[in-house]
Amino acid sequence: MENEKKRNKLKRLLAKRGMGQVITVTIGLVGLIIVFGLLNPIFLSARNISNLLRQIAPTLLTGIGQSFVLITGNIDLSIGSVVGMSCMISATLMTKGINPWVAVIITYLASSIMGLLNGKLISKAKLPAFIATLGTMTIARGIAQIVNNNYNTDSIGEAAEGFMQFFYYGKTLGLFNTIWITMFIWLVFNFLLSRTRTGRHLYAVGSNIHAAHLSGVNISSTITKAYLVSAFCSTTVGLIITATSGMGTMDAGNSYELYAVAASVIGGVSTLGGQGILLGTVIGASIWGVLQNGLQFAGAPVAIRNIVIGVIVIITVLLDIVVRLNKKVGKAKAGAERSYFPVLKHKI
Amino acid sequence: MYYETSNKSPPNSKEALPSEKVNYAKMKVTSYTKQFELGGLFMGNYIVELKNISKSFPGVKALDQVSFTLKAGEVLGLLGENGAGKSTLMKILSGVYTKDVGSMKIFGKKVDHLTPITAQKSGIAIINQELNLCDHLTVAQNIFLGRELITKGVLSDKKMNEEAYKILKRFQIDIDPETMVGNLPVSKKQLVEIAKALSTQAKILIMDEPTSALTSKEIDNLFTIIKRLKEQGCGIVYISHRLEELQYIVDRVMILRDGKYITSMDFQETTLSEIISYMVGREITEKFPRVEEKIGEKIFEVRNLNAGRMVRNVCFSLYKGEILGIAGLMGAGRTETTRAIFGADPKESGQIFIDGEEVQIRRPMDAIKVGLVLVPEDRAKNGLCTKLSVKENIALPNLDIIASKLGLVNRKKEEKVTETAVKNFDIKLANAEVPADSLSGGNQQKVIVSKWLARNSKVVMFDEPTRGIDVASKVEIYNIMNDLKRKGIGVLFVSSELPEILGISDRILVMADGKITKELDVKDATQDLILEYATKFGKGMDYEEEAMKA
Repeated sequence: MENEKKRNKLKRLLAKRGMGQVITVTIGLVGLIIVFGLLNPIFLSARNISNLLRQIAPTLLTGIGQSFVLITGNIDLSIGSVVGMSCMISATLMTKGINPWVAVIITYLASSIMGLLNGKLISKAKLPAFIATLGTMTIARGIAQIVNNNYNTDSIGEAAEGFMQFFYYGKTLGLFNTIWITMFIWLVFNFLLSRTRTGRHLYAVGSNIHAAHLSGVNISSTITKAYLVSAFCSTTVGLIITATSGMGTMDAGNSYELYAVAASVIGGVSTLGGQGILLGTVIGASIWGVLQNGLQFAGAPVAIRNIVIGVIVIITVLLDIVVRLNKKVGKAKAGAERSYFPVLKHKI
Repeated sequence: MYYETSNKSPPNSKEALPSEKVNYAKMKVTSYTKQFELGGLFMGNYIVELKNISKSFPGVKALDQVSFTLKAGEVLGLLGENGAGKSTLMKILSGVYTKDVGSMKIFGKKVDHLTPITAQKSGIAIINQELNLCDHLTVAQNIFLGRELITKGVLSDKKMNEEAYKILKRFQIDIDPETMVGNLPVSKKQLVEIAKALSTQAKILIMDEPTSALTSKEIDNLFTIIKRLKEQGCGIVYISHRLEELQYIVDRVMILRDGKYITSMDFQETTLSEIISYMVGREITEKFPRVEEKIGEKIFEVRNLNAGRMVRNVCFSLYKGEILGIAGLMGAGRTETTRAIFGADPKESGQIFIDGEEVQIRRPMDAIKVGLVLVPEDRAKNGLCTKLSVKENIALPNLDIIASKLGLVNRKKEEKVTETAVKNFDIKLANAEVPADSLSGGNQQKVIVSKWLARNSKVVMFDEPTRGIDVASKVEIYNIMNDLKRKGIGVLFVSSELPEILGISDRILVMADGKITKELDVKDATQDLILEYATKFGKGMDYEEEAMKA
């Protein structure tokens, strides 16, 4: 009896939003790591792994933001531009001699406005998310260009040494700070998504917006929160880029929004909303990073790398659809037996 | 009248009321007693008073000076045809729409503006016609959506599961609270929706077609629940197109027509035909118009059709001049059978004959080409491109006739095809350019039928053609079927409503568990007989025959 209860629990865990795909892609990720490790042992060196994790961070962070938005059934195309905008705003302020930490706060505030704008345009003015964020994407890129009169900034200088250490170069307990920051943000948002009322509402809105509305869920604030999370994550990535290069680049974050979609979708977040967990996004971002890094070590030229990654994105999602279709047929059968034909059980 | 306005202090006996309401508004699921004490206070008094409510949508006046009252401990049947304004009125009461003019009093307290949240807090719950559940959440998560239980700042699924289990058990609903709603069949989803509304401890319950997907046993159970709630002092508004149900539960009926209040009367003092005539505005002489035709030769035959679990070894023939009804419970495989025949779902095996010749049907286009068409269930989802105009909808399956060989659409021909269709089926519309979803349910259904009959179809399969449409439109659909029958077109009629199956078909197939369990001539068929075979699981007809031979 107890055992059965436990097994049921396990079953339920597996049935949980997109858990199946998380497991499939985790196996895939392990496979990839083994293959690349065999192709070039340096790939598995501590140094490379540490670097690899730091490389994964931006994709994962933007992926977290995009996952939040995708779960509500929307999309955020402005992520890459907000990364660029944050990079330029923070760097420009620092070159103007403003305290780096004040600059960081101002940057977060500025991009929150973009998040707020996205959320309200979609939830209040009822613009399609694709269009609204296409607009803000262009606006944010424009702002990135305007803040320093259409030039990349000069070096942010020695005053920003602490800032650069904090976001990129420094290490704590042997791990790069970037990795700690990413882990912290992931933990916070994973908690928000899985254990709080807001999180539940995000799923509900993505699953059936009418049902959520009629159940008293505040649709507008829920969607806006998702976009605020996305803007927060993008800003963090922008700051990491500023810290990395020590200057502001107008093109920073170009097409990051799409990498973020890829990381989310590989990890089992549905673009149709209502489904996905942040654990999946971690795996998705890792596959993305491992492929980039591993193919580089295996000596593949950039063009080949791009093609391979594109193919893999399509295959993972295709695989998931095939698996899910099969499972659905099976489930429908099982469900039918349980629910429609209670009589059957006694007769056989 | 209770007390005039909210700012006046209430009569002393109800002094405690406002604070009670605050408690109640928190909707703690654990204490039911409070709710019933509150109900007791109001027993027999008006808990909802709506006065002169009007509501307009662009181009339509949905409600015109409608007044409405509901007493505690009363079940009110709110009746009217599609588009009469029932749902609009209830959506205003539940805070989904805001009224244009009029005044509202709930529990004697004047209310100006309601949102879904404030409506819920003032004790109003609605069970919607469209299922409003999140497929990706569990039953318990759906029940507590919008008022999740929190312990120490964190969602407590454990507590919600326990509470949901209690609620489901209390109402004798046999569902595991931890299942994903997306994996439940429609009837169970409807029960979840009902449990969700009941769990808010609402004092005012609005049920909009709650039984449309339920089996008779579940309906019985629901009626018991309704009676219990009534005794506890809840006011219940019951909307249904199934007028036969009313006698079991309803105390009073109120009838709307074209957005206007028509009348309200005690159910005991009226008859169904009187109610119908108020709803329609004229007498409907025949609810099920029957046409007798001579049965002609076989035009359509299905042999040993198999397609998945829900279609097992289905065999039947259809003759000229008859309507063949297919009865069965939800999930018996009727829809799956029509879809497999039509080529919408893949077949494993089976032969299909039209006019004695075997035809190969792999996809819907093959079926359409040999004159076999399907009017699918769920108009909005499968039947119509709702955003396209009526004209485009009618032209869509006939483009091979309308368009030239190069694929150019011949506008004149399109115009002509549409015009004939609209005229033949008496579709009421301003012009054929209006989008299909602007029509009423009955007219939409006619558009679907007409688009298929614009070409020379030989067999028409109707899957639940009358679900969710009003009495008058139903009769029109029956007349269309009778018309087809007269013209020698084979009609296959799938329906979950036994009265209409018995009223319209000439021969009835009963399905259960993906198999045909019985074939009945309508003269020998009764509701009980059909139900008996509809619940005959695990045995097919051929099975039985074999047993008899042995």
